[in-house]
Amino acid sequence: MASSLSSKAKTFKSPTKTPTKMYRKSYLSPSSTSLTPPQTPETLTPLRRSSRHVSRKINLGNDPIDLPGKESVEEINLIRKPRKRTNDIVVAEKSKKKKIDPEVSFSPVSPIRSETKKTKKKKRVYYNKVEFDETEFEIGDDVYVKRTEDANPDEEEEEDPEIEDCQICFKSHTNTIMIECDDCLGGFHLNCLKPPLKEVPEGDWICQFCEVKKSGQTLVVVPKPPEGKKLARTMKEKLLSSDLWAARIEKLWKEVDDGVYWIRARWYMIPEETVLGRQRHNLKRELYLTNDFADIEMECVLRHCFVKCPKEFSKASNDGDDVFLCEYEYDVHWGSFKRVAELADGDEDSDQEWNGRKEEEIDYSDEEIEFDDEESVRGVSKSKRGGANSRKGRFFGLEKVGMKRIPEHVRCHKQSELEKAKATLLLATRPKSLPCRSKEMEEITAFIKGSISDDQCLGRCMYIHGVPGTGKTISVLSVMKNLKAEVEAGSVSPYCFVEINGLKLASPENIYSVIYEGLSGHRVGWKKALQSLNERFAEGKKIGKENEKPCILLIDELDVLVTRNQSVLYNILDWPTKPNSKLVVLGIANTMDLPEKLLPRISSRMGIQRLCFGPYNHRQLQEIISTRLEGINAFEKTAIEFASRKVAAISGDARRALEICRRAAEVADYRLKKSNISAKSQLVIMADVEVAIQEMFQAPHIQVMKSVSKLSRIFLTAMVHELYKTGMAETSFDRVATTVSSICLTNGEAFPGWDILLKIGCDLGECRIVLCEPGEKHRLQKLQLNFPSDDVAFALKDNKDLPWLANYL
Amino acid sequence: MPAIAGPSSSPQKHVVGSRSESIGGVRSAEVNTSRKRKLISDSAAEVSATVVLPVNSISTPMKWKSPRRCAVSIPKTSDEEIKEDSNEKLENPVISVCLEVKSKWNPKDDEQMKAVKEALHVSKAPSTVVCREDEQRRVFEFVKGCMEQKKAGSLYICGCPGTGKSLSMEKVRLQAEEWAKQAGLHCPETVSVNCTSLTKSTDIFSKILGNYESGKKANGSFSPLQQLQRLFSQKQQQSRSKMMLIIADEMDYLITRDRGVLHELFMLTTLPLSRCILIGTVFCVINVHFLKSVSYGQTSFKFKVRICPPGVANAIDLADRFLPKLKSLNCKPLVVTFRAYSKDQILRILQERLVALPFVAFQSNALEICARKVSAASGDMRKALCVCRSALEILEIEVRGSIDQEPKGPVPECQVVKMDHMIAALSKTFKSPIVDTIQSLPQHQQIIVCSAAKAFRGSKKDRTIAELNKLYLEICKSSMITPAGITEFSNMCTVLNDQGILKLSLARDDKLKRVSLRVDEADITFALKEIRFFRNCLL
Repeated sequence: MASSLSSKAKTFKSPTKTPTKMYRKSYLSPSSTSLTPPQTPETLTPLRRSSRHVSRKINLGNDPIDLPGKESVEEINLIRKPRKRTNDIVVAEKSKKKKIDPEVSFSPVSPIRSETKKTKKKKRVYYNKVEFDETEFEIGDDVYVKRTEDANPDEEEEEDPEIEDCQICFKSHTNTIMIECDDCLGGFHLNCLKPPLKEVPEGDWICQFCEVKKSGQTLVVVPKPPEGKKLARTMKEKLLSSDLWAARIEKLWKEVDDGVYWIRARWYMIPEETVLGRQRHNLKRELYLTNDFADIEMECVLRHCFVKCPKEFSKASNDGDDVFLCEYEYDVHWGSFKRVAELADGDEDSDQEWNGRKEEEIDYSDEEIEFDDEESVRGVSKSKRGGANSRKGRFFGLEKVGMKRIPEHVRCHKQSELEKAKATLLLATRPKSLPCRSKEMEEITAFIKGSISDDQCLGRCMYIHGVPGTGKTISVLSVMKNLKAEVEAGSVSPYCFVEINGLKLASPENIYSVIYEGLSGHRVGWKKALQSLNERFAEGKKIGKENEKPCILLIDELDVLVTRNQSVLYNILDWPTKPNSKLVVLGIANTMDLPEKLLPRISSRMGIQRLCFGPYNHRQLQEIISTRLEGINAFEKTAIEFASRKVAAISGDARRALEICRRAAEVADYRLKKSNISAKSQLVIMADVEVAIQEMFQAPHIQVMKSVSKLSRIFLTAMVHELYKTGMAETSFDRVATTVSSICLTNGEAFPGWDILLKIGCDLGECRIVLCEPGEKHRLQKLQLNFPSDDVAFALKDNKDLPWLANYL
Repeated sequence: MPAIAGPSSSPQKHVVGSRSESIGGVRSAEVNTSRKRKLISDSAAEVSATVVLPVNSISTPMKWKSPRRCAVSIPKTSDEEIKEDSNEKLENPVISVCLEVKSKWNPKDDEQMKAVKEALHVSKAPSTVVCREDEQRRVFEFVKGCMEQKKAGSLYICGCPGTGKSLSMEKVRLQAEEWAKQAGLHCPETVSVNCTSLTKSTDIFSKILGNYESGKKANGSFSPLQQLQRLFSQKQQQSRSKMMLIIADEMDYLITRDRGVLHELFMLTTLPLSRCILIGTVFCVINVHFLKSVSYGQTSFKFKVRICPPGVANAIDLADRFLPKLKSLNCKPLVVTFRAYSKDQILRILQERLVALPFVAFQSNALEICARKVSAASGDMRKALCVCRSALEILEIEVRGSIDQEPKGPVPECQVVKMDHMIAALSKTFKSPIVDTIQSLPQHQQIIVCSAAKAFRGSKKDRTIAELNKLYLEICKSSMITPAGITEFSNMCTVLNDQGILKLSLARDDKLKRVSLRVDEADITFALKEIRFFRNCLL
């Protein structure tokens, strides 16, 4: 059974699972036994974690001898013959590494070995503070954790340098001051620099090499290390190149039976390992705190590092090399980020929550892993002891759960034309091309290009308006897409693009935060954001490091931003008129006369660039639908034309036209299946469209009236009859009741009685078919039909139960 | 519907007659002059007449009224305009002469095009502010006076948007600093605040204080306002004798419900400080909707209020409600009004901006028509600049098009922005798109508009949706069209509301919403006349 399994079992709940392997290993190398971090569901995402597991296992296999100390480790390592690794998956996993190392790697096992284990009873003693390896570790400390097995052994032989080498002289003195470049993080002795610096300068400092690089020259002469001297990498460097991990200690305990110290580690991640990869705004020393936990043995812990919140980080310029910044938490399940509230106190709750969830999931993964591991043991040669573990920690998607992925082509049957049509007609499907809007798109492109093409970008503003469903937003977005392609091709200078939907903002003021986040990647409150944006646009200060790029701001539903004193719009539209703003604003709204409704000073700043998206006419709608359906033979031509004409006559809304066609396709599909005739023409015909239109345009109230109870029908009929007789829209319950009783009498129905009748009236009032006063007025209650009497008559006419109703309508 | 009856004559009235609009009501003259003008204006006018006119001729009366009102409020201008018009001096040779000396402009040259665009951009502040010398001088005199006497004062500047208030203030500030240097006085400290960028109105005091007190420790127990008040009412040591110039832009954003902030701000200038040598200046420019205030430090406030364009009730209203109260508090600010630019001023400013360029990009009469039209409509300089830029773009597209099409064809001698480009740009800006809009509406919405036109033909000004629906159903029935359902109908009404054709009042119940028409019935008749279907309906 897999050791991961065992370790997990040991840590958590099922003591029965602690297995055989534990034994085996325990006499071989107790230290490495327990190294294996438990398999947690989080392993799914980060590559780094997975490789960690892999390496761990190799370690197990390769260190069969108890190593008393570092020195001996080295010796052993030297005499050991290279072994071939049979598990190619492992190799693949390691593709990150420059070298695939066929040599046996070992982990520098910390010299102090915990006592050997005695019993297998699962008893733990928890500590707040542990002295281990002559260092004190406390809950909440940040530490480096090794993952070394697959690292280059040569490198490993060296002691991890505490002090990094100067990038120029490649020596490390302890007595000279070293300065760190804020760009490449290389260290430099003050006196090695040219010209030498007397003291550490205030603010950011960038080394000469990075400066040259930044100025655009590609040829940079970086000093080469002297021959034979190996570049020693500090832990920081290893961490940032993901050869080490950092973790926060959440719990500390000793297994009573074997005396091994364990910690529960909460991992940190470097930006490269997140789903988004490294972003521009990430600092060199930035880490993300994850919600990914693992139980690891104390031996993997190398030493302390210091992860600080931004405030402390900015003060910590002299704290040495192991200082890191952590501003955000990263959720490995969702790939989402959130700001670390207060690193110290605030997150207790969330930890709990995560812990809880983890425990649940662990069970689950336990079983799966078990299965998986058995498989792998079978598959890999038994002779390798390490093989049993070899697949631990890898992410195989469905396979991990013990299932085989079903090949795509087996699962999906061939889509029929109708199904394809339905899929392409979905509103969510992005059309490949946008017909009928080329003129508008050209205008937008010309506007944007005209604004950003010159180096001196002149701020401008454009207002785009049009009724819903006329392709405003999608046109702008596709223009931006084309522009992006051009930027990549190099024909247009780069810009940043921020897209905002006014309706998605919690309040109009929040737009400042969203813009600021779009520009800098930091989320701040709107007041702060407004201040920074003012500095950026009105005074020309930069946000962050770079921001010489022009900025294009797309605001959808602009009218939502109109506040009482309209200051939000004023600010946004005022920025483009400032000299160095480089801001281009595109506003989209439905209302044509929005600028006229605004205060004059705002419309004055808005400029005169307007673009109107008129409603589509039937020819355009037809073209839109047929372009979407290109290559799919599912619609009769006349059916499309009918749908588009109908929509064009009422609203010219493309969304609605697509919906009608999609619904018609569904209707046709249903009809064809029902008739069960494999008709040669599986086409949507006019009749289907007609049905869909009926559904779409026929108001729901007709449906409701068609389905009301028998008595309600009689009641409504009486009201219509009353209306015809008197010509008055409003009537009283008294009169309706009289009519009902006379109708019932004539047609041989039983008169239900006044109370029931009153209740029926109130029920109809509830669903707003009639408007009525509250029921306590009883006889004097006033009633009025909420819909035209024609509609009511139409709904009630064809009724099989009560055919005589028609006589009164 | 007389306006529509003669589409052939009404066109010129709008295109060429833009200047006559500003003549504040000299309607009778228009008819006569417009003919003459048409003859004079070159072919461009004719081109535009055919293209633009149908639209213009039907623009709503509302649109044209407001500029007129505006013009009336400035009687001097209208007199001049009348004179101008009677002379019919369309081409102004005096101005163009000096320009013609310059080299030819080549619109195909990107560099040159860029330079022109830059010169015309709003963000480019001209080195000198022309046409505002008078106002600037008054403000400067005021600042100077305050600084010389070391007393506080306030000034309130008001004016329509785009009349150079902020720009002038900036210049005055520089001027004042210059002058202070020469006169051997301390340079005044300046605080420029745009009140829209304050997150809450009382922040202005902390801004002032922050600037004033840069070195001093903040006193936590007092609000910034209290600290300021103490500062200005207690004896200070010598070192603080600097004046402070506070320029608050868009001051109306400081108005709270009780107007406390604004009053306190002005009151700062009245605090007893003669013994205090420390002088700040607060100078406030209040736009109508908004203000700029420049406050002179300790005791002096300058305040400018500006009058807003008619229609913004708030603006004038504000000055009315606000100034008497200040007077009673003994700190009535001096008021300086920035008038909307007249046609001559706009023309001069445009030329001033272009004169720095080494080539001629605009025909002088093109600039003039732009100036006339804009001054008649609003006098907003920003708008004039935008129009020029869009005329430039029209030319750019034209030039590019001609290159693409016939690279070898004879190149027209002089590629500058001519009348016709300018007129196209103006019509793009000022035309009322109502007729186009109505004509491009879906059919059922046209029927609604049509029934609305009928419904409001009488004296009745509004009806409920249900009533309108009845009329709509009638029309549908008479022309054998399946009517849309009531929900669909109210949806369509909302869309028409968005397009500015109908106005829906808010009501809980859909059916009870009141509908009124926002466009002229004549416009509707004209737009729908073309469609045979509606010919009968409208009778």
